[in-house]
Amino acid sequence: MSRRIVVTGIGMVTSVGIGRRAAWQALLAGRRGTSTVESFDTSRHPVHQGGEIKGFRPDDHLKRLVPAQIGRASQLGAAAARLALSDAGLDPEALDPARAGVAMGTTSGEPQEVERLDDALVAEDLAQAGHGFVRRYPCHLIAAHVAAEVGFAGVNAMIPTACAAGNYALAYAYDALVNDRAELMLAGGADCFSRITYTGFARLGAIAPDVCRPFDKNRQGMIPGEGAAVLVLEPLDRALARGVEPIAEVAGYGLSCDAHHMTAAHPEGEGAARAMERALRMAGLAPEDVSYVSAHGTGTPTNDRLESIAVKRVFGERSPRVPMSSIKSMLGHTMGAASAIEAAVCALAVAEDRVPPTIHFEEPDPECDVDCVPNEAREMPVAVAMNNAYAFGGNNASTVMIKWRP
Amino acid sequence: MAALNASRRRVVVTARGLVSPLGDTPGAFAAALEEGRSGLGPSALATWNGCAAVVAGEVWGFAPETYFGDRNVRPLDRTSRLAAAAAGLALAEAGLAQVESRTQPVGLVLGTQFGSLKTIAEFDRRGLTAGPNYVKPLDFANSVINAPAGQTAIWHGLVGLNSTMAGGATAGLAAIGHATDLIRGGHAEALLAGGAEELSPEAGLTYGRAGLLAAAGSSPVPFGAGRRGFALGEGAALVLLEELEGARARGASLFGEVVGHASAFDPSMGQDPWSAASALGRAVRAAFADAGLGPGDLGAVVTGGSGSLELDLAEALGLASSLEEAAEAVPATAIKGALGEAFGASGGFQALALLEILSSGRLPGIGGLGEPEPGLALSLSNRPRAVNARTVLATALGLDGHAAALILTRSDAA
Amino acid sequence: MEVESIRTKIKEIIANVTNLDPAKIGDTDSYIDDLNLDSLSLLEIGVDVDYAFKLNLPEERMRSLSNVEETVALVLERLSELAQPQPEAALA
Repeated sequence: MSRRIVVTGIGMVTSVGIGRRAAWQALLAGRRGTSTVESFDTSRHPVHQGGEIKGFRPDDHLKRLVPAQIGRASQLGAAAARLALSDAGLDPEALDPARAGVAMGTTSGEPQEVERLDDALVAEDLAQAGHGFVRRYPCHLIAAHVAAEVGFAGVNAMIPTACAAGNYALAYAYDALVNDRAELMLAGGADCFSRITYTGFARLGAIAPDVCRPFDKNRQGMIPGEGAAVLVLEPLDRALARGVEPIAEVAGYGLSCDAHHMTAAHPEGEGAARAMERALRMAGLAPEDVSYVSAHGTGTPTNDRLESIAVKRVFGERSPRVPMSSIKSMLGHTMGAASAIEAAVCALAVAEDRVPPTIHFEEPDPECDVDCVPNEAREMPVAVAMNNAYAFGGNNASTVMIKWRP
Repeated sequence: MAALNASRRRVVVTARGLVSPLGDTPGAFAAALEEGRSGLGPSALATWNGCAAVVAGEVWGFAPETYFGDRNVRPLDRTSRLAAAAAGLALAEAGLAQVESRTQPVGLVLGTQFGSLKTIAEFDRRGLTAGPNYVKPLDFANSVINAPAGQTAIWHGLVGLNSTMAGGATAGLAAIGHATDLIRGGHAEALLAGGAEELSPEAGLTYGRAGLLAAAGSSPVPFGAGRRGFALGEGAALVLLEELEGARARGASLFGEVVGHASAFDPSMGQDPWSAASALGRAVRAAFADAGLGPGDLGAVVTGGSGSLELDLAEALGLASSLEEAAEAVPATAIKGALGEAFGASGGFQALALLEILSSGRLPGIGGLGEPEPGLALSLSNRPRAVNARTVLATALGLDGHAAALILTRSDAA
Repeated sequence: MEVESIRTKIKEIIANVTNLDPAKIGDTDSYIDDLNLDSLSLLEIGVDVDYAFKLNLPEERMRSLSNVEETVALVLERLSELAQPQPEAALA
């Protein structure tokens, strides 16, 4: 019998709220976090909406690291880590640092550092270009800064598998605990708002002009966002020994690869379905056991249609009745943070028997025959929650949270 | 641990593939290391226009058509081409080049620091100079750090599990370690694992600015008393890892077994050399525990020594403390003086060097090493040595606090 | 600008994306069926053509193109549109 791994703390830094309680309440209330982009000039872009976190003050959260010395994704991730440890009732100083590890996911690492470099290079200001870059840019700095902030000296993994990276990090952390490579893991994802990401998705014509409407017939695209979430994972026996009630149990994960196209998902949802099936098999569950699905649900015409096909492959006739919402309708697409935030949502859904809505939903799309929990949060029994994430490169990842029972 | 070891699935290396500054076959690579040849030289790829030439370990004359025939490589940037070339060579050695020949899906865990920094930066500069509507869509697809792993999977039909590990100089070893755990845990049967990295003018410029590179015109000498820094490198190196029984059943060649691996972190992020040394030492001890072996079993070490002033010292201190009395007895070497620091690819290069040592019983020397830095309790030499190697160790320490260790044994030793 | 130089430039752009010899790209070869271009590569060609001829075309007009012949025609059409004196209302 494999060790049981539970979630005992959650930290979220999002455009609708900072901290587990604030973010969760806002998501249940259906609050939109996207707004007009302010961090760079979008006057030459065809679109102007983004999911920036406008009220984030890193000084409020960081105790060791100096915010000015680290990139914004690191700030978001390290803040989420502090919030998660505090939520778990853990004093990091009281842990064995060598047995405490970190696994983080990201899409772009610290892209604002490349932007700074490029600004200088384009201005032909070579003398100013690139100073400090190598100590601020490499994406592994996010996991490093999380660990340095809380003093963790164990396993430290950075998994840049783009928009599925949060789920990959969760899977990595789960294995690190099952294999006894650590006794406590922080697992999550972080990405910051970036000109590079925004310009790229704008060029692909993937960004909605106003709001993100997953599964709606008139959806016009995704909205890039930023954020971070960190989950505290530990073996069940350890959590019980220190007298805390787990929020949820991590039951399994499934990873797969389309090997089909860099930016387009498999036309029949083949890889996505394989990831879901593997996650269920590992959890020892059947499709009919799933109470709630946190969708990838980006709001692009193609993603939502293919995701609907993929869930139909797995859930069959029942798929239109499986509640499946997308919080990207509220936060936009927070890239590598997205599936970490959504994993936190799944953990809270099984803990509280409530699921957040898909907002901005007006007109059903016959090509998306799903129950997207339109516009209003729902109170319902949630025994099993599945979290789906898909990424550039054909990286698919599903994770499963179940209600913790002794 | 022992009980765990007895029941767990075993992971073996059944094929290798690399493109490197020292050739694209394991034999050429090993011969060059044995002869002490350097793969470094003035590299246009690593030099920003108008700056002094950066000395680096380039994959000299890399010609994609050699590996890819007339298939269109435009969608792949250099990192992806290097990764896909190494993957193709490994699959060919395994007899699994054709998708139809695979009875199990093959996956990939790729270590890389940057993916392609050049692609990301050029994409952004095009937006600045031409306007956001004129950025290159194909470059945006490659701007994600997992693009080389994704492109390699598309190129070779790798429908198995696919992941990317960052972590600077430790990324390649971390990828091999992660792949090993995924196979042990039953999540995969066959995974290519290792790393890829490209040289770029952006890397040459920014590492130069950081004062981390060996002075112009001088070669890096790992552990040398007068070392001043490292050189950048590039390439790709992958091993095919398979579950032992499955590999035997299909009659695969067995080049070695992955018996142990571990990673650790220095929360000072390299600012305190003793803390960095401690992280490396913990990674080595944990890897031995994972393997159910100890320093007394060790035949040779391929360190991550690169010529870096701080990291070489910390790595030597960490090795000395974790190997205890074996440290001064077990022959150790470093290959980054000849190859440069190729980040994600470095761990792959180290793994290939370990496999060559297991098969040949020869440990390459450290080219140019006159006097090692005094006080390093390691057995270092500038000459190749015969070693009694049934069990070999690779270590790496990154600039920002990451430490990793990997232990291989001869596959007949188990 | 001459039709032939426009055609040559467009084929160069396609060659850069497809790795094909420009001489082997037929004027009526279908981008999708003959040249096997996916949507991302088609978008890349559209961006490059627009940039090369300074067309500033709305996205939709580029999307409907299926071969070199049609692309040349669109470039010619747009260049002549841009050469027209702007109506006074637009200047106001």
